[in-house]
Amino acid sequence: MQWATGPAVPVISVIVALLLGAVFVAATGNDPIAAYAALARGAFGTPYDITETLVSAIPLVLTGLSVAVAFRTGLFNIGAEGQLLVGALAAGAVGARFAELPGPLLMPLVILAGILAGAGYGAIAGVLKAARGVNEVITTIMLNYIVVFVMHWLLQSGPMTAPSALGTPASARIGDGAILPVILPNELVPLSRLHAGILLAALAVAVFWFLLWRTSLGYELRAVGLGARAAAQAGIDPARRMALVMAIAGAFAGLAGMIQVSGVFQRVFDGFSSGYGFDAIAVALLGKNSPLGIVAAALLFGAFAHGGAIMQSNAGISSHLVSIIQALVLFVIAAEAIVRGIAGRSRRGRKPVEAIA
Amino acid sequence: MKRLLAVPILAALTVSACGGTGSGGAQATGGAGTAPAAKAVRIGLVTDVGGLNDKSFNTLANLGRQDAEKDLKVETKVTESKQQADYVPNLTSYAQQGYDLVISVGFLMANSTWKVAKQFPNVKFAIVDGAPADDAGKTENLPNVANLFFAQQEAGYLVGVIAAEMAKAKVGKATNNTVCSMGGIPIPPVDTFIAGYQHALQTISPTTKILNGYSNDFVDQQKGKEVGLRHIDQGCDILFQVAGGSGLGYIQAAKEKGKYAIGVDADQADVAPGVVITSALKRVNKAVYDSIKSVKENTFKSGDTFFNAANEGIGLGKLDPVVPASAKAAADKALADIKSGAIKPKTDIAVK
Repeated sequence: MQWATGPAVPVISVIVALLLGAVFVAATGNDPIAAYAALARGAFGTPYDITETLVSAIPLVLTGLSVAVAFRTGLFNIGAEGQLLVGALAAGAVGARFAELPGPLLMPLVILAGILAGAGYGAIAGVLKAARGVNEVITTIMLNYIVVFVMHWLLQSGPMTAPSALGTPASARIGDGAILPVILPNELVPLSRLHAGILLAALAVAVFWFLLWRTSLGYELRAVGLGARAAAQAGIDPARRMALVMAIAGAFAGLAGMIQVSGVFQRVFDGFSSGYGFDAIAVALLGKNSPLGIVAAALLFGAFAHGGAIMQSNAGISSHLVSIIQALVLFVIAAEAIVRGIAGRSRRGRKPVEAIA
Repeated sequence: MKRLLAVPILAALTVSACGGTGSGGAQATGGAGTAPAAKAVRIGLVTDVGGLNDKSFNTLANLGRQDAEKDLKVETKVTESKQQADYVPNLTSYAQQGYDLVISVGFLMANSTWKVAKQFPNVKFAIVDGAPADDAGKTENLPNVANLFFAQQEAGYLVGVIAAEMAKAKVGKATNNTVCSMGGIPIPPVDTFIAGYQHALQTISPTTKILNGYSNDFVDQQKGKEVGLRHIDQGCDILFQVAGGSGLGYIQAAKEKGKYAIGVDADQADVAPGVVITSALKRVNKAVYDSIKSVKENTFKSGDTFFNAANEGIGLGKLDPVVPASAKAAADKALADIKSGAIKPKTDIAVK
């Protein structure tokens, strides 16, 4: 089983997806090599592009952790998108309401608001799962819709509507104390938007690792994920762990929303997230739910996101190509699991179970 | 093992179900091939999240770019923004490469354009439908930015005349004397269209029931369709949409239920022949073309420029054969009156 958890399989998946993507490019009468060269140049060509790729990757790291921590407990969190939005709304509301507070007071408040709101929203699905056995896939999808529409109301004609013409329904700007500073001096990388959220993301990755592999709670979560009934036999209450892990998943996603507000946009607006919570599912799968894997996958998808636009302007290839490649990555990963599943069944499940500890 | 199998497959399915808003499409950017050797004028166009295939606003802007490339021998490139977070990096990318003119397509890019234009005072910018706006949302004219505005209410008024005449005379399938509209989100470039439309309806056919709604989206056709079906349930038989890609769903609803629709920005007669009775034309292509021309000919002017009926910036699209001659005559007269100033279409929505 060890071979399957190493980087080999994801790397091969990406390579296969890129090769298949090349077929699409060629089919539209363009040069695949030029396309990928432009994509890579767009994502990493200048220091500015590298920082933009990082800015794109930050929310994907956190939502990836959100999906992964639920995966590890045997749950499928499709709700990272909604949890991110709730976190963003809470952070945006607190950041604007207490805009006058000094940074050392306001910043922790805003961070806490984002994390707690996301955790609370995630916990709804978790509690429903634990108490009534409601499938978390269904509830998290539905909760996504609820927050999207509540957000329309809040921003268009509700209490968070800002009386300004920013061009889109939006909340008021957060106070200066709530803004995550840009961490690279302008002399080093002019115009860089790379903000301190990257440090929060790094911290979150460390927390994810420590929680799952260095605490007894993490041990229990993973035990539930590998086999809820076996875990119950060992004295772990799977229902309570599932409720808890959805709150933890929501906390990671809520932090992502908070970081987008404080680091990038300084406010919440309609169309705030472009599906970070959905891309996160691919990030978690590609990253094999491991801390470093998620970081690598998020960087790859961040590079796609930023590089894709540049590829379009410089090589004339639609930036939708990167969506195709992302979908292909998922397909290849799913196909790999099928192949492995068939192989596993032929051996009548006598495969050694992945070590928990 | 079953779970191991199920999860990734489910993931693949769900992702495609939840996230599938991308409308694939290749577009030709002639730039690289046709560029003359020395010091060509270089133009970069950045679309908003509606994308190049919205068959309205962005499509038209791109058309203006392509026409300019052909006629004016300038080198042009285009970038589609997939999310609002892309606006700043997409604009910055062209500015950093020293393009002569960077065009932002859309009101939604007002703040991003302000940010980038301030950083690059030596690059010229043009923004369609807006003016640079600072972080607080306050408009600030910049010496290197041209603000391209349209009198949307005039175009809305013209299609409103057609709708009012048809509702009043109960022409064809328009038997309920109920006329509707749908915007993407309630922002001025959208609402002014609808304001002019409602003004014409209330002036010409005061008994007509008017409904208005929003899809809260400029991309998702499904959301537009839902609003359309709801409007049709409430008796609407003429549906006017100002919602980019989302509006195509509104037209789709009219098509499925056998009602009439009115197109916007571009001439959308081809979207659903026999359903789209006319379109409120907003010639974004003209605005883009003219601004490129001004840079090429060194006549670039910052600040506000208005495109209206008088300078052919707006107009009425092709009329479906179902539209009676009397309605056409009324619209022609309204156009003349708008040009002469005898009619001043309202810019505030009457029925929200």
